[in-house]
Amino acid sequence: MRRQRPTLIAVSTLIAITLTTAAPTPANAAPPEQVNALTAHQADGYTTLAWQPVDGATDYQIERTPVDADNTPTGAPTIVGIWRPNRQINQHAPTFADSGYNPGDTFQWRVRARTGTTEQPYSDPVTATTTAPWGNPTTPGEQLRTGWETTHAAQYTSDTDEYAYTAAIDALSDRVRVVELGRTVQNRPINMMVIGHPTPAATPEAVAATSPVAINCNVHGNEPGDREACLIMARQLAFSTDPRITDLLSHTTVLIVPTINGDGRANNTRGNSTGQDLNRDYSLIRQPETTAYITMVRDYRPVAGYDGHEFGNSRAGDLPMLPPRHQNVAQPIFDQSQDMIEGHMYAKGAEAGWWACPYGCEGGGNVGLSEETILRNTLGLKNVTNSLLELRSSGGQTRPDEGNTANNRRRKTYSALWTFHQFLDYHRADRADILKARSEAIETQAANTGRLVFRGSRPIPAHPAPHPGDSPPPLDAPPADLILDNAPCAYKLTDAQYNGARTDGPGGVGTTVAQRIAAHGWNVITIGDEHYVPLNQPERGLIPLLLDAKGVEKLTDGERVYPTLTGRRNGPLTVTGFTCADDATINGPVTVRAGAALVTTATTISGPLTATGAAGILLADSTVNGPVRIATTTDAISIIDATIAGPVDLSGNTTGTDAPVLAGTTIRGPLRCTGNNPAPHNLGIANTVHGPRTTQCAAL
Amino acid sequence: MSHPATRPRHPRRSRGPHGARRALGLLLPTLLLAACTGTPAAPRTDAAAAATAPQLTGPLCAALPTGTDPGNPSFLAGQPVDQALRWIPTLTTFEAALRTSGVLTDLPAGTGVTVLAPSDDAFAATFSEDNWDDLMTHHTDQLRTLLKAHLISGTHPIADLTTAGTATTLDGVTVTVTRTGPTARLGDRADTVCADYQATNARIHIINAVLGPLPVTADGTGHRAH
Ligand SMILES: [Zn+2]
Repeated sequence: MRRQRPTLIAVSTLIAITLTTAAPTPANAAPPEQVNALTAHQADGYTTLAWQPVDGATDYQIERTPVDADNTPTGAPTIVGIWRPNRQINQHAPTFADSGYNPGDTFQWRVRARTGTTEQPYSDPVTATTTAPWGNPTTPGEQLRTGWETTHAAQYTSDTDEYAYTAAIDALSDRVRVVELGRTVQNRPINMMVIGHPTPAATPEAVAATSPVAINCNVHGNEPGDREACLIMARQLAFSTDPRITDLLSHTTVLIVPTINGDGRANNTRGNSTGQDLNRDYSLIRQPETTAYITMVRDYRPVAGYDGHEFGNSRAGDLPMLPPRHQNVAQPIFDQSQDMIEGHMYAKGAEAGWWACPYGCEGGGNVGLSEETILRNTLGLKNVTNSLLELRSSGGQTRPDEGNTANNRRRKTYSALWTFHQFLDYHRADRADILKARSEAIETQAANTGRLVFRGSRPIPAHPAPHPGDSPPPLDAPPADLILDNAPCAYKLTDAQYNGARTDGPGGVGTTVAQRIAAHGWNVITIGDEHYVPLNQPERGLIPLLLDAKGVEKLTDGERVYPTLTGRRNGPLTVTGFTCADDATINGPVTVRAGAALVTTATTISGPLTATGAAGILLADSTVNGPVRIATTTDAISIIDATIAGPVDLSGNTTGTDAPVLAGTTIRGPLRCTGNNPAPHNLGIANTVHGPRTTQCAAL
Repeated sequence: MSHPATRPRHPRRSRGPHGARRALGLLLPTLLLAACTGTPAAPRTDAAAAATAPQLTGPLCAALPTGTDPGNPSFLAGQPVDQALRWIPTLTTFEAALRTSGVLTDLPAGTGVTVLAPSDDAFAATFSEDNWDDLMTHHTDQLRTLLKAHLISGTHPIADLTTAGTATTLDGVTVTVTRTGPTARLGDRADTVCADYQATNARIHIINAVLGPLPVTADGTGHRAH
């Protein structure tokens, strides 16, 4: 029962930018303190005002007046913004993104400088009609609108409206497939839009091969602004004919999860229906909502992500952002995420007039810390370049704070829409760097070197002045008792720990550790009734946080298993039981017996490596000067960043849900893979194979 | 019920979470100017709507749907109270709590109701997010008592309440209602920020503080970390 939007809409042009310039300045006119050359660029839901700076100005006030078609004011002039030097990084070209109006309405803007508190004369006015909600109202598909749009932001889009809207997009656009990732505690569907051009890849594995990006739009039910932006952007991605959009979608797959926390959204609570804050559960995955998201990450393997929130601190900027800071996150992922935020978002924000800033920005408080339970950190530990996004309606006291009104909601949602489009542009432009960071991170993690930190962040140094945040987030260094300098090779779990019933889920019923490890996608090797989780895996930084006794929020107290084989060893080696080699040189043939496991890091084997019916073979950062033949393995195979003389032969391995991994490895001879179920994959990290690659490994 | 000593007297000026501070120095005068015009600046206001429009009063009214906007006061006057509450943007916390708890649907059929509806800012200045989630998910009885402290039997314009000087809420507590300039003050704690919304068999007065017995748990430092 929504009222229809008044049909004032001019035919929309996609992402079109209308430029209105001020009336020419009279030749002998303006005093030097008057703002000159004011321009207004229109974009989706906001107007970028830009002007020439005035010498000696302390700040600027932006005034907006609603006008009718004859430029007659229809309301009072209002100061809608204050431009301060810390809003942007290149202060010679001030910009301000004015939002918080009904898109499609017409306004007049003026800007004046203040010197100290002295107000200087206003600029000449600029008048423009703002961009109406995206999509031609008479074009099928484009004409769809969210509940939030049709109610002029008086109501958020309801759960049922969301399902109908996304189903309509799915039905009308070949580019979109809606998949259900799972259900909430109260049985609401958790949907994901899979968007590609001309059509999205057919399976999760095929999508993973496109290096997808993922946006988590609404984890906290009382922070719905990003979700509305996601729904609007989905419509643009589905139906736009803009070459930029089709180009983006031709080079990746966009994964949009509008509402992971549908129960909390319906009740306007932060947590889910059990009261659990889901953004403190992504590592532990006690809840079905977080389990759905983490399983999606395992299956679709996004390489970059954003996680949408809203924020109440009035001293923060428009768009606080933060990378995965946990010190177990591989350096390249932290660096790449920082590049996305400070290299891209700060620079583009200064063009559009949005104030992207470090989380906290000014006096931000005790926020942005190292809990691995937070998606930002969990994704980083999964080698995903990503950022938190907060939406602020009154950015750092430079905008009116109108409470939870339609105009404040618009400021939040349209700034999120800008951010998400910028995110896609960043991925398009920097995809090679993102993938390189990911490869390096996975190889670094799998090498299992360096200390483990159970809580503690990397510092976020203040951006060089001029900077968009006077104070960076707190240092949050790891305390000494939460550092483990001597990382184990693996964790050993008893069968009771691994398969035992748990009570930490909704209604006192939790999934088993085995199920959660499977959702994370870690390799596990079972020997007898003991279960080993080796650390020479891509998520090495996350494993101890859940399985070590030192873990602050852990699943169980696994037993640390240290290497049994180090240094030089001459002669044939027969592996029985669980054998871990680190920094070892083995001169002689290695044979892994049925039911046994070999885990290596920084190890060189000179001689053939043969395993038949082994439980697991996990090689990382290792060299085999000889052929490798692995057949009928039962649990796990992983070969990452290895150098093998070859030939390599993987055959008849049946490793359950854990597909054999062969990634970042150089093989000087042939590579043959036959009869493996599931088939091997390369995590998106190509191998170098000098000989022929056949059958299941032809594309690795 | 006495108030906890820590309760902020002016929650909208406190440094509570979720943008509770509307008073922003330089920006405030113009906002209030726009709000105090009495005929809110509303493009597309048509004469028919204006002629029948409920006469709302309070500084927040102009920031809420006006004129012919979806959810405007004239439209809400013909809506059931639960639907009307969904259209008022600043009541998302209160509306969800009423809906979740079932308090409204428990009212005897056909009786009028007056709703003293705390804004989202008011809730954010009162309850920490953890405390609020705990109330919403685990303490339905406490929640229902809290909500009943915001309901009065019968449909009462704000002027009638101030004339009477007191009102008894459905939790059995009598609160004072006094006129303070253009607005009304309830229980020496809350001010009306937009009064006299009408709905079917109902009046809705938006207030800027939470009534009832529960202690303040918001720490006033801003916001829970993401
Ligand atoms: Zn949040």
